[in-house]
Amino acid sequence: MTATRTDAKPPSGTDWQLPPRPSTRLRTALIIGAVAAFTIATCLPAIGGVQLDFGALVSHWDNGSGLLLQLFQPDFAFLPRTVQPMLETLQMALVGAVAAALLSVPLTLWAAAPTNPNGLSRRILRAIVNVIRAVPDLVYATILVAMVGVGALPGLLTLFLFDLGIIVKLVSEAIDSADHPYIEAGKAAGGTQTQINRVTVLPQVWPLFANQWLYTLELNVRISAILGIVGAGGIGRLLDERRAFYAYDDVSVIVLEILVVVVLIEVASNLLRRRLV
Amino acid sequence: MTANDPNTLLPRRPSRLVPTLAAVAVGIVVIAATAGLPIDWRDLGTVPAQLVHFGGLMFESPNWEKLPRALTEMWRSISMAWIGAILCVLVSIPLGMLAAGSVGPVWVRLPLRGVFAVIRAVPEVIIALILLTITGLTPFTGALALGIAGIGTQGKWVYETIESVQEGASEAVRAAGGGTAEVTRWALWPAAAPALLSLALYRFEINIRTSAVLGLVGAGGIGSMLANYTNYRQWDTVGMLLIVVVVVTMTMDAISGAIRRRITRGPGIARTTRTALPARTTRSRNVDRVR
Repeated sequence: MTATRTDAKPPSGTDWQLPPRPSTRLRTALIIGAVAAFTIATCLPAIGGVQLDFGALVSHWDNGSGLLLQLFQPDFAFLPRTVQPMLETLQMALVGAVAAALLSVPLTLWAAAPTNPNGLSRRILRAIVNVIRAVPDLVYATILVAMVGVGALPGLLTLFLFDLGIIVKLVSEAIDSADHPYIEAGKAAGGTQTQINRVTVLPQVWPLFANQWLYTLELNVRISAILGIVGAGGIGRLLDERRAFYAYDDVSVIVLEILVVVVLIEVASNLLRRRLV
Repeated sequence: MTANDPNTLLPRRPSRLVPTLAAVAVGIVVIAATAGLPIDWRDLGTVPAQLVHFGGLMFESPNWEKLPRALTEMWRSISMAWIGAILCVLVSIPLGMLAAGSVGPVWVRLPLRGVFAVIRAVPEVIIALILLTITGLTPFTGALALGIAGIGTQGKWVYETIESVQEGASEAVRAAGGGTAEVTRWALWPAAAPALLSLALYRFEINIRTSAVLGLVGAGGIGSMLANYTNYRQWDTVGMLLIVVVVVTMTMDAISGAIRRRITRGPGIARTTRTALPARTTRSRNVDRVR
């Protein structure tokens, strides 16, 4: 590099020289090395990594292939028995989403900087939300089932907590990143923060909320379908039960049903979203 | 009705009939759903007391004796997440590129998008449960399930990213005589690579959360340990495990988020205080972000 530098003539007239290409080879090598080292470390069973065993896929194929075949022969005679649990799943999803939506509005305005000038209370709420979000959905369900007993209630609470975390985080960040001239207008007119939030901010951020509410409803349908696996109600319980009996033709019906319902909810929510947002 | 009448100057209020009817309908459905749930709502009143009671059991004096094992199990979960992310990204980048409007022909694009949509709709736990029958209760099953389950969303992100690349460079390559392969390599890839790498890291973050869930159904890692100690009702250990999950997840999020910001925004903006992804404008990407 220094060699090219000294060779370079001072710019005179049209005799320009291209600057030397920046050397990124060392950096690239370091990055690739780091990624490779991390990957290898994750593959070492000795320190708790994953034992990569693609051979097992082949050698154990016969164990599962019969069941997989069953999976492709759904037994639709089972369908009537799935209706009631599926309904429960959908009810849980809807009620959880609505409850979270109601509480999300004040909490979101509390967590966003333009709507809550008090930095301390904002940070406290954000920290709580981040902790809530760091715990995966089924972990809540497992612990809540152990606390309040098997049934739909722990599932509902799980969905509620999970949705609340998502909505508050995403919407408050969206509020943070937007410009808010209308808030200044409200201040100039002498409004209190509460009045400003209610009259100017809420109408502005309503589409953001609507978008996230619909999104959590979609997520809830997906999640509540599996909550039953840990005992939190809905169709997941039936799925786990049939799987334990190796009745894979029934499992297949349930999976297909979940798939259809999830896609239907997504389509419906996309249509609604186009109207609302 | 003269022009002096102030009422004539205002336009008529638009009818609120349809929104009101819709709100009433939604309200009725929600109330019906609430009433139909097999929940004894009196139990709800006892929940706060229960939470305080069990919260005390869990966090008053967490049992730190099992910490080394918890950290090993957490590392196993992270390993599952990482390998799952690599598998997922290795499959979904080429497939997602083929599914992009400007790259693949229609007869490749539509089936691929269909496959992505189907995978997106199946929860990863179900994929893991099906895989269990072949590979057994191992972390490898978890990694495979994460790899397969992620393809649906990741593939969608990839083709959306490729499609949002500006046309200029592609046109230049085409004008210089390049075919689809050259356009992909020299116009689309350089423009989309930072976003794609950032999304790959984001997949890793999502997988860390999901791998804990897969542990609950027996794929090993911190989730299995958590499920066991919850079943034993050893709340002090459960409390410790929860602390480990939260701290490690948040730390990994912070590290991965910092790397992602460096990738997408370039050097020198490290001082920004924002904690997560900037709010993206495209709705479709926003939609699947949290998964």
